[in-house]
Amino acid sequence: MNFTEILCFIVLFLVLPILISGFIRNLKARLQNRIGSPLLQPLYNLYKLLQKSETISQDASPLFRIVPALNFSIMLILAVLVPWLPFHFSLPGSEIFLVLYLFAAMRFFSIIAALDTGSPFSAFGASREATLSALTEPAIILSLVALGIAYRTSDLNEIFSFSQSHGLMQVSIWLLSGAGLFLASLVELSRMPIDDPTTHLELTMVHEAMVIENSGPNLALIELAYNLRLVVYYGLSAQCFMHALAVLFTIDHATYVLLSILAIFILAFLTAAIESFAVKLAWRNNPEFIAYALTMSLLASLAAIFQSAFASLSLGNLGAFL
Amino acid sequence: MTPLEFLSIAAAVFAILMCGTGLLRFNLFLYSLQTFSIALATIAQSQQAKEPELYFVAIAIIVVKALAVPYFLSWISNRIDARSDPGILIPIPITMHAAIVLLGISYPLAKSLPHILWLSDSTVGATVAISLLFTGTLFMLTRRNALSQIIGFLTLENGIYLVAVTCTRGMPFIFEMGSLLDVLVAVMIAGLFVFRIKKSFEHIDVTQLDGLKES
Repeated sequence: MNFTEILCFIVLFLVLPILISGFIRNLKARLQNRIGSPLLQPLYNLYKLLQKSETISQDASPLFRIVPALNFSIMLILAVLVPWLPFHFSLPGSEIFLVLYLFAAMRFFSIIAALDTGSPFSAFGASREATLSALTEPAIILSLVALGIAYRTSDLNEIFSFSQSHGLMQVSIWLLSGAGLFLASLVELSRMPIDDPTTHLELTMVHEAMVIENSGPNLALIELAYNLRLVVYYGLSAQCFMHALAVLFTIDHATYVLLSILAIFILAFLTAAIESFAVKLAWRNNPEFIAYALTMSLLASLAAIFQSAFASLSLGNLGAFL
Repeated sequence: MTPLEFLSIAAAVFAILMCGTGLLRFNLFLYSLQTFSIALATIAQSQQAKEPELYFVAIAIIVVKALAVPYFLSWISNRIDARSDPGILIPIPITMHAAIVLLGISYPLAKSLPHILWLSDSTVGATVAISLLFTGTLFMLTRRNALSQIIGFLTLENGIYLVAVTCTRGMPFIFEMGSLLDVLVAVMIAGLFVFRIKKSFEHIDVTQLDGLKES
């Protein structure tokens, strides 16, 4: 990674989270025939929240104040570890399972903090979040593990590097993993078919209900961590789709970088479109939607297992082996 | 992996995704995508095996099975106001995962088939074909609605067609056209039956059709 790439990474890292969430909000407004807030509205919101003073429940323990900062710092580490942009630091420790469990740790801490305030409402949100994450986690794990099986490594940086063998089987693995990751990230980020991020109706809230007791700078940190998480998840699935594209066509590096950023915006556009045209699913029907994410990742793993079986065994042995 | 194999795997994936929802309109959309990728696979095979008349078969499949039949069935589902299927026996998401397991099982089954086509290895095509047979049967077994039974049957038929295309050099042109016409007529008659069943029983739940109706 040379100097320009580090510079690019830092600029994108600072700009994209704000820009993407502003873009989604603005686009949703446009699709509903409203003018909408400016693109940088999330930044103004953060500035406003940082000016405000904080109200904390009397029942809350010190944990409640620590958790937003803790989650934000975990998110910063993840943003460096996860290859969500075409260039990434080759740090040790970008293992699939470390990354997955850092995400899980963030969820764990936010659930603990929501339960900590003693508000029944945020406890509702916490229990819903726990259910949803138990359902989505297999999908995310399997879609990353499928890539791991296909390239015989558990190092994300190595999986998402460019010195890989090419074939149509790889295209299907990349596409299926990307689709699985995208669907799972819609659930994980509590976007539309599962949870409406703009609603303020108690019965439907998941993420919003969990952070309802937070205010001021604490809420600002949570929002910032959320925006960063959105970009990291979308960037990861965009990279999956871009790799499928790179197997089919030869693309030089500069175009590839531009296309990856464009892909993140396309995924954000898809999210906004889904949120404008689809309705929120009833809570009972959520497993049906999440089953689709799991199916995509299961199919990706099946394809990866077949591919590695083709590579290691001769075709005659395989029938006997199975 | 050739384009033929890629497209037939896409057909299997669409068939599996079709198992995962009870909304009839979405089922029909995914069935249409599945048939469309099978038609594209036919075109790929026609280039690979140098059989130009498969082009016409592919076009006929797109017109009849991928467009006309789903359109007709969705018209019927609107007409008799049957929009979704609650499912029977096992929950709908589990059906989808069971179909993935069956896709895995169909690989060794396809391995044990003899290679009829000497040009290339037809294992992947046969795997997908067998998995379509399994998926169609599973779909028919786990649904209540008479329209879903038709969709499952059509998926099964796609599987049989894919065996003919991938494991041989394709059937003679006149046979393909004849079987396509049979499918069209079968769907028409099945559609009429669904109308009649709806009229005399006031539902189209196949699990309740074995009881005698008094009146």
